[in-house]
Amino acid sequence: MEVMNTARNKILVDEKGFLARAEEWNEDVAHILAEREGIKELTEEKMEIVRFMRNYYAKFHAFPILNYVCKNIHQPRECVSGAFDNPMTAWKIAGLPDPSTISFVKIDGEHYHMEECC
Amino acid sequence: MTGSIPTKEWMDVPAVFKEGNFCYPAKKSMVEYHKFPNPREWSPDQDDWKLPDGWEDIILKGLKERLDKFRSLKLFMDTCVRCGACADKCHFFLGTGDPKNMPVLRAELLRSVYRNDFTAAGKLLGRLAGGRPMTVGVLKEWFMYAYQCTECRRCSVFCPYGIDQAEITMMMRELLHLVGVGTNWILEPAANSNRTGNHMGLQPHTLKDNVSYLCDDIETITGIRVEPTFNRKGAEILFITPSADVFAEPGIYTAMGYLLLFHHIGLDYTFSTYASEGGNFGLFTSNEMMKKLNAKMYAEAKRLGVKWILGGECGHMWRVLHQYMDTMNGPADFLEVPKSPITNTVFENAASTKMVHISEFTADLIRNNKLKIDPKRNAHRIPTWHDSCNTSRAMGLLDEPRYVLDHVVPKWYEMPENTIREKTFCCGSGTGLNTGEIMELRMRSGLPRANAVKHVEDKFGVNTLACVCAIDRATLTALMDYWNPNVKVCGLSELVGNSLIMDGEKERETGLRFEPLEGMEG
Repeated sequence: MEVMNTARNKILVDEKGFLARAEEWNEDVAHILAEREGIKELTEEKMEIVRFMRNYYAKFHAFPILNYVCKNIHQPRECVSGAFDNPMTAWKIAGLPDPSTISFVKIDGEHYHMEECC
Repeated sequence: MTGSIPTKEWMDVPAVFKEGNFCYPAKKSMVEYHKFPNPREWSPDQDDWKLPDGWEDIILKGLKERLDKFRSLKLFMDTCVRCGACADKCHFFLGTGDPKNMPVLRAELLRSVYRNDFTAAGKLLGRLAGGRPMTVGVLKEWFMYAYQCTECRRCSVFCPYGIDQAEITMMMRELLHLVGVGTNWILEPAANSNRTGNHMGLQPHTLKDNVSYLCDDIETITGIRVEPTFNRKGAEILFITPSADVFAEPGIYTAMGYLLLFHHIGLDYTFSTYASEGGNFGLFTSNEMMKKLNAKMYAEAKRLGVKWILGGECGHMWRVLHQYMDTMNGPADFLEVPKSPITNTVFENAASTKMVHISEFTADLIRNNKLKIDPKRNAHRIPTWHDSCNTSRAMGLLDEPRYVLDHVVPKWYEMPENTIREKTFCCGSGTGLNTGEIMELRMRSGLPRANAVKHVEDKFGVNTLACVCAIDRATLTALMDYWNPNVKVCGLSELVGNSLIMDGEKERETGLRFEPLEGMEG
């Protein structure tokens, strides 16, 4: 666990970069998490993706189909990979829990793709 | 592989765990969820595995029970003559060069303990008779090599005694679970499947919403609105497929293929949000777990009052369905022998299980001229065919997918003869080994398959690896990215769906992946 300082308080992040206490999330926290993930600027387009993921998770308790995200927020296909390279980065910035039956791998040196358990 | 002559007997070479050569152990919470013994935090690369007191007796008692219960296991322990026909048939041996990945030696890891404690020769002569006592070192070796076997059964094809190496691996994994040694990438999906009906943990409304999104994309691409139903009582057919089909690329394109096909022929079918998983990670855990997770299929078929079950593109699902389901959870005498409502073909081969594979169903539709197909829509693809281990070796599904391919793409090419059909090479990541932490091992064990793909890529310009397995679709994508980055992976039903001429469709501009179809209409 790693402790990080925000403007108002401290947050806890696990060794993989997932926010430990979901209730601590707010958009300021998102910016701090983004910085930790090496995302230089959390633009409004990127924040839209993050917000959508949070709303999606609240309703469906699952990782979304990535182009479903883009379609719903009226961004071009592949918007998540375009904005974050690794889609899991967006998920972490959204303060959501480690979905331990999926992972993203980058084998060809260019693109991440999701590997699901089955 | 160094090519050097070993300086030690195999029994004296310990299994050494280091980051990258083992799957992460099951979380304590997962072991507790399944009510398996010895939940705790531990790691294979630490010396102390925190085994329970008396663990040796637990293993030996467990082995005795299984020897009494499964005649196959007793037979496989007794009959091997160490001829070595299997040795170089294993993709894990070919990829790693580790002698303990020769199937004969992998089985010997268990057989040596069997000899020591359950045969007269072993009890008297011990190591002289090839026996050795159960020790922590032996247990660690089991864990290493039972999880460097994908239960693909290629070795069994070549075994003159027909020893089923998969069943030996299954037994080793079962025994390991008795003392709390298992992997998270298997036990968590199994827990999800038990709780939500599917490995991905999709709740009913999520599953429905995902399918609805695929229907939206189908409408965008074809102009046709397909309207699948869920949990509909009185439907003629229950359709069950891996949850990955409605969860992630490239599986979702396969699912779009099913949806288009069923709409095309006006099939009276329903999805279930309860029996919402084709796969069964119980197969990779224990017989009891497999039985429990499988039971949902017949239970749901009975509840909904369907006539029979149609199954989607999954590999190990068909090993469970074809070789175990009927005797584990059957007989399903409340179902009818499957009969295609479109062609009236009776699937006598499924008379006992009452479950038909999507490829045999589709091949029958094509053979009876029930589909309007334009193979030129797949002209941008030059596929080769990967026989999934379980559909080919466990159910003999060899010609049906080839017949479908013949009709839905302009041309496709076979990989070399000793790498296809019943001699097919595994993707290298089946049986729950498709996890990121052992990526190097996976790329090694997948090398024989990738090498055969490389051959047809170089020779014929193949750019697509088609298959009928959800694990394949995920893992072959990584394998191709590494060894043959110009080759993309797809399910067979994606190619079927993409080739269908739908009544009332708009002019098609793209394929199911929104890739352009230039001048292919016709």
